[in-house]
Amino acid sequence: MKNFAITIFILLIVATLGLYLISFQVRETECCMVTTFGKPTGQIIEPGWYFKWPFPIQQVHKFDSRMRVFTPEVEETRTAGGEPIIVNTYVVWKIAEPLKFFNSVKTVKNAEDELLRSRIRNTQNNVIGRHYFSEFVNSDPTKIKFEDIQRDMLTELKAAVADAEYGIEIETLGIKQLKVSEDVSKEVFERMRAERNQRAEAITAQGEAEKIKIETQANSISDELTAAAEARAKIIRGKGDAQAAKYYKMLEADPKLAAFLRDLEALQKMLEKRTTYVVPTDKEPFSLLKGMPDLKPAGTNDSE
Amino acid sequence: MTEQNNKKNMDLHSHKSSGTLPDEFDAAGKSLSEALRISFIILKIIMIVLVVAFLASGFKTVGPEEQALVLRFGKIQGVGEERLLGPGLHWIFPYPIDEIVKIPVETKVSLVVDSFWYHESANEKLSGQSRIRPTDPLKPLVDGYCLTRSEQRINPVLINEIQDENLYQAQAENNNRQQAQPDSDGSDYNIVHTKWQLVYQIDNPEQFYTNVLISDVRPGQTYLNVIKEGIAPLLKSMFEDAVVSVMVNYTIDEAISSRDRIPRDVRTYLQDKLEEIESGIKVVSVQLTQSVCPPQVKAAFEASTLASQNSSRAITEARTYAYNTVSKAAGPVAEQLFAALHDETVSEQAGELLWSQVAGSAQEQLSDARVYATKVEKDAEANADYLKSLLPEYRQRPELVVQKLYLDAIEQILANADEKFFIQTTEAAKDKEIRIQLNTDPLIKSEKIREQSTQENR
Repeated sequence: MKNFAITIFILLIVATLGLYLISFQVRETECCMVTTFGKPTGQIIEPGWYFKWPFPIQQVHKFDSRMRVFTPEVEETRTAGGEPIIVNTYVVWKIAEPLKFFNSVKTVKNAEDELLRSRIRNTQNNVIGRHYFSEFVNSDPTKIKFEDIQRDMLTELKAAVADAEYGIEIETLGIKQLKVSEDVSKEVFERMRAERNQRAEAITAQGEAEKIKIETQANSISDELTAAAEARAKIIRGKGDAQAAKYYKMLEADPKLAAFLRDLEALQKMLEKRTTYVVPTDKEPFSLLKGMPDLKPAGTNDSE
Repeated sequence: MTEQNNKKNMDLHSHKSSGTLPDEFDAAGKSLSEALRISFIILKIIMIVLVVAFLASGFKTVGPEEQALVLRFGKIQGVGEERLLGPGLHWIFPYPIDEIVKIPVETKVSLVVDSFWYHESANEKLSGQSRIRPTDPLKPLVDGYCLTRSEQRINPVLINEIQDENLYQAQAENNNRQQAQPDSDGSDYNIVHTKWQLVYQIDNPEQFYTNVLISDVRPGQTYLNVIKEGIAPLLKSMFEDAVVSVMVNYTIDEAISSRDRIPRDVRTYLQDKLEEIESGIKVVSVQLTQSVCPPQVKAAFEASTLASQNSSRAITEARTYAYNTVSKAAGPVAEQLFAALHDETVSEQAGELLWSQVAGSAQEQLSDARVYATKVEKDAEANADYLKSLLPEYRQRPELVVQKLYLDAIEQILANADEKFFIQTTEAAKDKEIRIQLNTDPLIKSEKIREQSTQENR
């Protein structure tokens, strides 16, 4: 019984050791290539547990199949219109087929230096050379094709890398810096300055115009309202006059007296203030100033 | 562990061979077998302990901020929901069968990106003053920046502001005219410097683990730091890509003022791209922490801002003036009244109601008119009444009444007069010319003139 347990234990250990020799695991993050007597004979991309012949018959070379970022140096290139433009492209790639990868470039560094750098440069020059600068940045947003340009680059680079059969897959790429040369930057600054100055003037002029417009409009509204009010006032006054006219009929009882009364009233009003009065003494009652009147009592008529 | 097992193996073999010895060395053999038995028991205990330890090594804890994947023979274990282990204690088959990969999904990591900022030396950074002259160019290798598109219109900011006002909406015409202006060549662009902050977290541990290159944890490093370092080159590149791609669609003014729309666009762009490559990374937030025009053109920008401020101040003042003027004309209902005057559809009643609420000088005019109307009417009435009351007396004694009325009036006039001259109309004086010097204002009387004239009169 004792021996049995021990035997199981030992067998287990031996089996484990044996398995180490003849099998291997491929993780989710890896892919690998199997060589038989040093000659590449197969590749495994799916993760899992695999068997092989023990060393030295078969050997396993593992590669990390996760995404890598590669950024080549900043480069100046030219657009379709001949303008210099500086772009910095990054590429996300991974090892997709270890066998091909091993046969062609062997290491990641080689892949980046020998393959990717030149391919990216070509793609960049080709694609950018097909587009005008105005498609990168444009005052009309509908004409901007920046994303299309990047997509074109991706398609082209993918095709180029696939054709080369290096076992590399391009996941994505993008332009992470978009710049212009030193000289051009100076010109841009000049233009920006000019644009700002022009804008400042435009704003000032516009503000001034707006101000005048608002003020004029207000004045005209004010005038119009005053005129309208005056019109209404006239109507009100007219109504008053019409009301007054009712009473004029009553004056018809003795028009002459009415006229006399009106004249008197008018006279009084007109000469109310600041009047210098010059009158000959032969007019009543100033004739009294000449001398005593010749008065005698007479009938019923009385005089004051 | 394998080495330990090996050693044990060898020990076991030696014990086995010693157990088959004959019995003649009894005492010695007994004690030896006793010793062997004990050591055998000890060995067994060790074995059991090792097995237990081996099995116990399958217990793994997953921290509260983490989720874990289990790899069985290198392959992710489980289906659907079961693929992820939440926080807590879990048992998996010990190595080399199962492996656990913990991913800190809850941890939000921030990444500062200032590759779009102009180059600053260490001194400049410390002092906060840059020594950039207006004539300095930007060096593509050291200075970072974004290109933004140019304005389509000259001045959208001001126009928008004015359009908001429904009071005076005459700007539309102006606006159209500006839009119709053709662009010089369409490829005008501006340069803007920006600083960003990005916060991300791992959203899909499986995608993240299988696709994103993270180096192995070396001693002295924490897993989180390794993850941060691993993600940084990828994420930063993609983020910069997103910024460049988004910024070309905005103008420099939008880039400087909009801290809201642009980051949102950048975030969307970046998230789409991260999903496209199945990175399992989620962008939590994108912040545009700084955004300025290049120092080279700062003066021009400031002047422009100042002009804009002055302009809007002038407009505000004009509006105040307009408000005051209109209010003075007709009070608070002025606007409505003005609109009603030009609107045929406004009913008479409504118009009347407005007129009744009118204030200011219009109200003054109206009330003056009302006073006049009342006065005229009352005067006429009074006159009529007066005549009516006078008439019976007048009919009886017309001369006396007329004389009384006349003299009363003259009396009043004379009483009110400031200066009075009486000219004697004798025969002797008939051909004489009389000259009276009148003051322009009779209130300022001169004694001398009065004396003179009285002398003359005599």
